[in-house]
Amino acid sequence: MSLADASSKVAIHPPASPAAGLVDASKRFGGTVALADASFDLLAGEVLALLGENGAGKSTCVKLLAGVYRPDSGAVLVDGAPVEAWSPLEAARRGIAVMHQHPGLFGDLSVAENLFIGHMPRRRFGDVDDVRMRIQATELLEVVGLDCRPEQPLKDLRTSEQQLVEIARALTVDAKVLIMDEPTAALSQREVERLFAVVAGLKARGVAMMFVGHRMEEIYRVADRIAVLRDGRLIGVERAAELDRDRAVQMMIGRPLSAVYPQRQSTPGNGVLEVSGLSRDGAFADVSFEVRAGEVLGLGGLVGSGRTEIARVLFGIDRPTGGTIRLGGQEMGIPDPAAAMAAGIAYVSEDRLGQSLVMDFPILANASLPVIGKATMAGLVRRRSELKLVEPHLKRLRLKFRSFDQPVRTLSGGNQQKVVLSKWLATRPSLLILDEPTQGIDVESKAEVHAMIAELAWQGLAMILISSELPELVGLCDRIVVLREGRQTALFDRSEADQERVIRAATDADHDAPTPVGTIARTVAEADHSRGDGSPVGRLTQRIAGRREVGLVCAIAAVAVPVTILNPRMISGENLTAIAMDAALLMIVAVAQMLVLLTRNIDLSVASVIGLSAYGAASFMHLHPASPVLAGVGVACAIGLACGLANGLVVTVGGVPAIVVTLGTLAVFRGLDSLWAGGHQISADQVPQSWLDMTGARVAGIPAVILIALATLVVIGLVLRRRPTGRELYAIGSNPDGAALIGLRTTALVLGAFVTAGLLAGFDGALWASRYATVDARVALGYELTVIASVVVGGVAIRGGAGTVLGVALGALTLLIIENGLTLVRVDPLWLQGVYGLVILVAVAVDTLVGRRAHGVSGRR
Amino acid sequence: MKSSLVERFASWEAFLAVLTAATLAYAVAAVPDFPTAFNLSQVIAGVSERALIVLPMVLLIIAREIDLSVASILALSSVVFGVIVEAGAPLGVAIVAALLTGAAGGALNGILVTALGLPSLVVTLGTLALFRGIGYIVLGSGSVNVFPDSFTNFGIDNLGGTLLPWTIVPFLVLAPIFSVVLQRSALGRRIYAIGGNPETARYAGVRVGRIRLGLFVVSGLVCAVAGIVFTARLANARADNAVGLELDVITIALLGGVSVFGGRGKLTGVFFALVLIATLRNVLGLLQIGGDAQGTVIGLLLIVSLLLSTTAQRLYGAIRFWTTPMRSGGPGSGGQPGIARQAPDART
Repeated sequence: MSLADASSKVAIHPPASPAAGLVDASKRFGGTVALADASFDLLAGEVLALLGENGAGKSTCVKLLAGVYRPDSGAVLVDGAPVEAWSPLEAARRGIAVMHQHPGLFGDLSVAENLFIGHMPRRRFGDVDDVRMRIQATELLEVVGLDCRPEQPLKDLRTSEQQLVEIARALTVDAKVLIMDEPTAALSQREVERLFAVVAGLKARGVAMMFVGHRMEEIYRVADRIAVLRDGRLIGVERAAELDRDRAVQMMIGRPLSAVYPQRQSTPGNGVLEVSGLSRDGAFADVSFEVRAGEVLGLGGLVGSGRTEIARVLFGIDRPTGGTIRLGGQEMGIPDPAAAMAAGIAYVSEDRLGQSLVMDFPILANASLPVIGKATMAGLVRRRSELKLVEPHLKRLRLKFRSFDQPVRTLSGGNQQKVVLSKWLATRPSLLILDEPTQGIDVESKAEVHAMIAELAWQGLAMILISSELPELVGLCDRIVVLREGRQTALFDRSEADQERVIRAATDADHDAPTPVGTIARTVAEADHSRGDGSPVGRLTQRIAGRREVGLVCAIAAVAVPVTILNPRMISGENLTAIAMDAALLMIVAVAQMLVLLTRNIDLSVASVIGLSAYGAASFMHLHPASPVLAGVGVACAIGLACGLANGLVVTVGGVPAIVVTLGTLAVFRGLDSLWAGGHQISADQVPQSWLDMTGARVAGIPAVILIALATLVVIGLVLRRRPTGRELYAIGSNPDGAALIGLRTTALVLGAFVTAGLLAGFDGALWASRYATVDARVALGYELTVIASVVVGGVAIRGGAGTVLGVALGALTLLIIENGLTLVRVDPLWLQGVYGLVILVAVAVDTLVGRRAHGVSGRR
Repeated sequence: MKSSLVERFASWEAFLAVLTAATLAYAVAAVPDFPTAFNLSQVIAGVSERALIVLPMVLLIIAREIDLSVASILALSSVVFGVIVEAGAPLGVAIVAALLTGAAGGALNGILVTALGLPSLVVTLGTLALFRGIGYIVLGSGSVNVFPDSFTNFGIDNLGGTLLPWTIVPFLVLAPIFSVVLQRSALGRRIYAIGGNPETARYAGVRVGRIRLGLFVVSGLVCAVAGIVFTARLANARADNAVGLELDVITIALLGGVSVFGGRGKLTGVFFALVLIATLRNVLGLLQIGGDAQGTVIGLLLIVSLLLSTTAQRLYGAIRFWTTPMRSGGPGSGGQPGIARQAPDART
């Protein structure tokens, strides 16, 4: 049972009993108090809105209730009792669902998997129930009004669509409490309506809800009670009906706020920018407008309507596919941001964290980054000139800071945005593009940004303002261009623009009356369907052709066929067996490496583990020839397990990056091996025959080692594909922060990946010792590069989250067949290394190019 | 940077400096063969190539890239140098050819990374095999070991009666240049910005691709210089020269406090790490401990020191939590650069 049905059911619940809440809860980070002695209740069938400036403690309240944080003092209450062992998992178990502010979603997983990760529906033996998951996902997507296939990879979705997935995810559990942390920040008006319809349904079902938002209109529409926070303290909780907006704002900022939008007279000067017929395939088409000095031009429309895309073209991030751009009357192309800056364009991006600031840098270095070239003497940066370029702007924006050397991450959102604005003003632009300049910043900073815009216009700067906040757009702009689905639908002058007309032009120009939500959703859905991706058959062949595995099979054929013609021994049983036996050893350890890579880690020590465990097993069999073969395998596995555990513990508990740890253990394990062996080797006649037979013996004509390897691969493949744990492994690599946010057991899973990899490498060591008989301290020396090469050629993403066992197996096979083929046609074995290198490069290059083309074919997404 | 006294003295560089000084003191006091003129100059000569290559490697890692192909470029330029000398061409021609080889190798890496957008870990893993493979194709398993006297003397002689061998001179010339560029110049600031947040750098008009390409070319060039130095020092040009050197160099950079996630690290720390590892290896060698076993010590040193540092950082955070009055500074400023756990794209 999920909340999906909520919107259709109506029941009457008396609003009363507290479902969850905080009691005198406090939370500190270092010397900073994020929340002090806050107490409030969430009541069944009621929405409590949290209101406060940035840094007031709203997100801390959310994270306390969501189990991401534990209170330093005080308590989190659920059902009237303080919670114990509080964690995201526990919170979910107690019926608390959360929509996080920055979606904690996983790009490499499908939409359906994203919805259910952490609690996927299972079949009898614990496998993921794909069918049930897809059906439930389809229902939920319908509820939130998102038109996409549940099996579609999440990374193909736009930001606003991903936010809808985040909303749907909170509805997958039968929650008693729903926490919404700024769910509407990236949503269009239409999507917000949808969300509020869902909220109304949940309210009727008696779910207790908490809503965090910045837009007053929304808060007053949705809230029954409003809790106001300031500087980490709860100022008061009042019924929404009894708290008027002015007083709410006053409680938030601690004093009355003056007029919201600065009044200004616009006296436009010369034309600065003229855009005509500008197009970019898949983003927007045939857009024309002009911006004059001292004028603010608004770009309105829903998120994804092409506003940001236009800005990106103007700033040289993307290339236009049609139309012209004239700056100061002169037509010009803008190949990159540096050229845009040289032409006097500045762009304040919508993504403050991702595109505007370097979090490690102090304020000064952030603010001077675009103009750092102007602050140098003989190529060296001079602090005094740096200050001279930046200081006036920081002062003008009244940035609150302790020192220019304060790291920018210690500033609040509003102050960070001031640093970003100063940074762009320091370039002395003639055209300033502001993309959502007030998104996610507090009321006070917002007013200051508005005042700054007015002042800059008065000084004669030309500006383009992109904003989802209609009052801001209407209140500040001289003219507004409205976009819908990449097309220009209206141009309003200041005198004719009002919120109603803008929203109508942005959503559906043909309807005069406000359109019911459902109709719009349906129309858009139909339009999306008619856009089409071609016939299902065509899509299928395309998908198959795009698969890495197919490419590898072709590559194998491309090598094997000509070699066979030149030397028929290629396909002799003897040769094929030899290849398969080598491949068996390589595949096992390659899959081990893949497990680690999936979690966005790497294990450089695998070859050293093979060497150490091979020597351990061989020397054990040498010293105890009477013991069973399995004991030798056990020794090798134990050694591998210990190595994997050491790696995993230092990475997870010690917090040292995997590449550093395993670079170290690569040397450590090999050194131990060498100390242990002390220059000796164990040869075939020093171990019992049964030990050598373990891999050499044939079952139905097939060497045992091949069967062992296949069995290992199948088991791991099934776990990764079908078990929830396998999917969670992919999730961790895809988005580690998101995984932590929703309470996946990241530490356990990463540790598990390292331990399993160690175990497999140890097992591989035993097989190696048995297969090659002679063992010394240099077994598998440098093999890690071959292993990583097979994994990479097999299509595992080095950034984690993507890859298949089949691909890795084929990658390993490809490398070995190339090696074998070259030997058979009598190419000097010394060439082999060069060819290997070339194969790796070709594989990754083809991968990228195919990936790009596939992206182009599937069109706008 | 204005920081508290504790933060300034508890820096990673200070920790390394103490460790290095302690190791040197131990070596001088307890290992009789260590403080001899011959041995010291051997230690310095032995570190010549690693010292050179770590310079561009640090820049690359700070810019969120990595170059695994350094040892292969070294070998390939050494082979090209040897083959041309063997053909009877003047030394100058051979040197230029070797440098061009290195630059071309670096350019190939850089173009694959910047133009095709491939992760450098993978690209340079491929070229690690490719470049050395080309070396084998050119020279096979043979070697060139007849060089003009002036060249072999460069590989053996010391700088006018001092302990300093001539082979360290290229490093002594380049190190200050790299330091100044990284720490003081606009280019250095841009490199840190690219590592700190590549998108922000791009949006701020930094020509990210061009700088990364440039760094790879510089890395190739410096590897070629190291290749010539190596050839001179061993009087030998072979395709299997300096196998596995890349791991040593990366170990030095990481021990020196450069963050694998980019954006953080200084050359001062790296210089200490260089001296520390060279001394350790030499002392262990004098104590009759073999190469692989030395690796154990170096590997443990890398892991244990980084572990200590993360633990110290946590402890320090806890202490500050209890001792600092409430104020608006956020958590996690300062500390050891190699450790910061940042989010995505760690290895790309």
